[in-house]
Amino acid sequence: MISQIGSLALNISGGLILSTVFFLFYYSIKKNKIFLDISERGLIAVCFCVILATLCLLNELLISNFNLQYVAQYTSYETPLFFKVTALWAGQAGSLLFWTFIMSIYSLIYINVTLKKMHELKYSSFVMLSFIFGFFLFLSNFIANPFQPVSSDIIVQNGNGLNPLLQNVTMAIHPPTLYLGFIGTTILFVMALSALISKSLTFEWIQSIRRWSLIVWTFLTGGIILGGYWAYNELGWGGYWAWDPVENSSLMPWLVLTAFIHSSMIQEKRGMLKSWNILLASSTFLLVILGTFITRSGIVSSVHSFTAENLGPLFLAFLSSLVLFTGYWFFKRFDLLKSDNKIDSFTSREGGFLYNNLILLLMCFIVLWGTLFPIFSEAWNGEKIYVGATYFNQLNVPIGLVLLFLMGIGPLLSWKTTSKSTLLSNFKIPMLVSFSSGIIYSIFFGPFQLYPLVTCMGIAFTVTSIINEFRKSYKKSKSNNKSIPSAIVSMLFNNRHKNGGYIVHIGITLLFVGFIGRAFEVEKEFNLSPGEEIYFANYIFKLNSIESEARDNHYAFISDIDVIDQRNNLLTSLYPEKRIYFYWNPDPEKRQPHSELDIYSTMRKDIYSIFSAYDAEKNQGYFKIMINPLVNWIWIGGIVMVVGSLFAFWPSKRRDYGII
Amino acid sequence: MNKIYTSLILVFALIVMWTVYLTNVKNDDSLTVRYYTIEELSTKQVSIANVKVGGLIKPNSININEKDQLEVSFYVYQGSDSLKVYYYGIRPDLFKDDAEVIVAGAFDNDLIVAKELQTKCASRYEGDLKNIEKI
Repeated sequence: MISQIGSLALNISGGLILSTVFFLFYYSIKKNKIFLDISERGLIAVCFCVILATLCLLNELLISNFNLQYVAQYTSYETPLFFKVTALWAGQAGSLLFWTFIMSIYSLIYINVTLKKMHELKYSSFVMLSFIFGFFLFLSNFIANPFQPVSSDIIVQNGNGLNPLLQNVTMAIHPPTLYLGFIGTTILFVMALSALISKSLTFEWIQSIRRWSLIVWTFLTGGIILGGYWAYNELGWGGYWAWDPVENSSLMPWLVLTAFIHSSMIQEKRGMLKSWNILLASSTFLLVILGTFITRSGIVSSVHSFTAENLGPLFLAFLSSLVLFTGYWFFKRFDLLKSDNKIDSFTSREGGFLYNNLILLLMCFIVLWGTLFPIFSEAWNGEKIYVGATYFNQLNVPIGLVLLFLMGIGPLLSWKTTSKSTLLSNFKIPMLVSFSSGIIYSIFFGPFQLYPLVTCMGIAFTVTSIINEFRKSYKKSKSNNKSIPSAIVSMLFNNRHKNGGYIVHIGITLLFVGFIGRAFEVEKEFNLSPGEEIYFANYIFKLNSIESEARDNHYAFISDIDVIDQRNNLLTSLYPEKRIYFYWNPDPEKRQPHSELDIYSTMRKDIYSIFSAYDAEKNQGYFKIMINPLVNWIWIGGIVMVVGSLFAFWPSKRRDYGII
Repeated sequence: MNKIYTSLILVFALIVMWTVYLTNVKNDDSLTVRYYTIEELSTKQVSIANVKVGGLIKPNSININEKDQLEVSFYVYQGSDSLKVYYYGIRPDLFKDDAEVIVAGAFDNDLIVAKELQTKCASRYEGDLKNIEKI
């Protein structure tokens, strides 16, 4: 019954979109406001229908209605309740509905909050929203319907269940967080283009779209970092980023959105770069759709495989129409986008933001080029050529380092132009700190390596420059307030926007601390029998025992390894496991081995252990140990970035334009 | 055109050209790796230092060295073509018959000596329905 309601809600939403389009068309001819109001209600009704359909599917997943193909495929009676919920986005049909669900929630907020203040954007926003909803509802209704019943000649006694690797809390939060970021770009796209079409690039508009972009950025950042965290702690290859097409697809919109957040500040302050901002805001969404196309079409081989059905051509058609639409309106309204002001000097705050944009877009281009290179090379000379991590690192690392320094230089520059004397006095202290940290680093941290040294200097430079900014605003607020705590509070809260930005920048410098560690990673693969030991990276690894245990849903071989440091002290014991899921299955093909890692994690380094195979006959285990320095700084940096962004987003009392 | 914009565009263009040069013109094996289908490779009688191949593991072809469990050879196949792969190192958990793998390494006369062995990531699980009964 519930599943019929859900299915019906999905059908109705498709019909409602068609009627909305009809009323919009009618409005464009008659210009009678009533038709615009009707289409607004139509869209709101679509959103509620999609939400209803999603809740119905959720209900079916929770009650294990295996008459639905989707439910049978991704859950079983044994699947824990929590993971029955996450099965909602575990497969193609569910994830598409989930996409539309999130888009509905965003659209409801956009229609009821943002558009209430900017009526002039209504018509073109509705047209674009209808088109985008139309596409996704078409997919959900006709191509991948989650309410599809199993074929009538079979009865499913128990479902497939969710892959044990996915039954992990991080993996449960990562996809929806990333989705919230990805789908949020829809609103940026709609908002940017509708302002362009309706010729209303107002001050209110730029402030509102900036707030939207902060929300989207927060989710995108959180989603990407969570993905890396899951890969590092679950997958057992010892890294968090591999330049895989799927990862790149999430990085590209992030880079462009970050560029937009910066360049929109110039528009807010000085009325410049309007055309540029429109392009950036709409490109984030286009890149999201491009990424979806890459990951769902299988056009570029990736270790992530998402889908069985091929949605590639449909997404390509959707993407092309969006690009054409954007291009058409961009050129048609080009004269509207002229700047109110000019950039006066290389050494100005505006200049700093421009360099930032240049670098972020270069990185995006490099990632895009590398990701799509197999397609390009095949088109040119018929050979599919892939570029590896070396390519991405070789190009992006030096450019990223320039960005790191730029984060410190930016705050030292004034708007319009910075005089030579100010420049010198501003740069003095950060430069001094940067050079001394470089010297200290070279003395204490061994053999010369260029990138780690430059990174270390960059971090010192940027952190000093940001602290200096905080010190200045503290002084200012101290002169108005008497007590120290109230001065700190008013300093922090008086200009949340700016301070939030600086907190994000501190978070990014922490990420760079983690990146330094990558240059010093070492690893070793070896085999040991109980009682034996091996010396590696200044530690002794001693295998005490390998025990076996039958547990609820798997069989585990548990190793017990002592890690002994140079002074012969026991540093820690590691217990990496080799597990066999579905071990009771007579068919060995259905059994699934899984290496459960054990990580000894400190701020200085992680000792990462993998139990990769067990030879029962010889009672011998095969292990891999990795020493990964400074990885924890990445996660802390990620948290600081998200906190900073939320801090910047939180509206201050004296502003009257509300939350978004 | 403003001087600043011109110089920025110039820098952008230079790096873009450098990127294109790196990937296209400069034949650098550490940067690029050529992707072959199994069919293409199985007809070639040459040695290539850097190849990448994707396919399925041929059932019953996995041969693990009894003395050293890290040493393995197996066949990857695609349609009717197949190729022998040799690999030494830790294998991914999902490595088993009919698993989809991506292999990168050196190719020499029908044998790929793999440096990298990846199975498709388990981010999604789209198996067939089991435990089903026909009426």
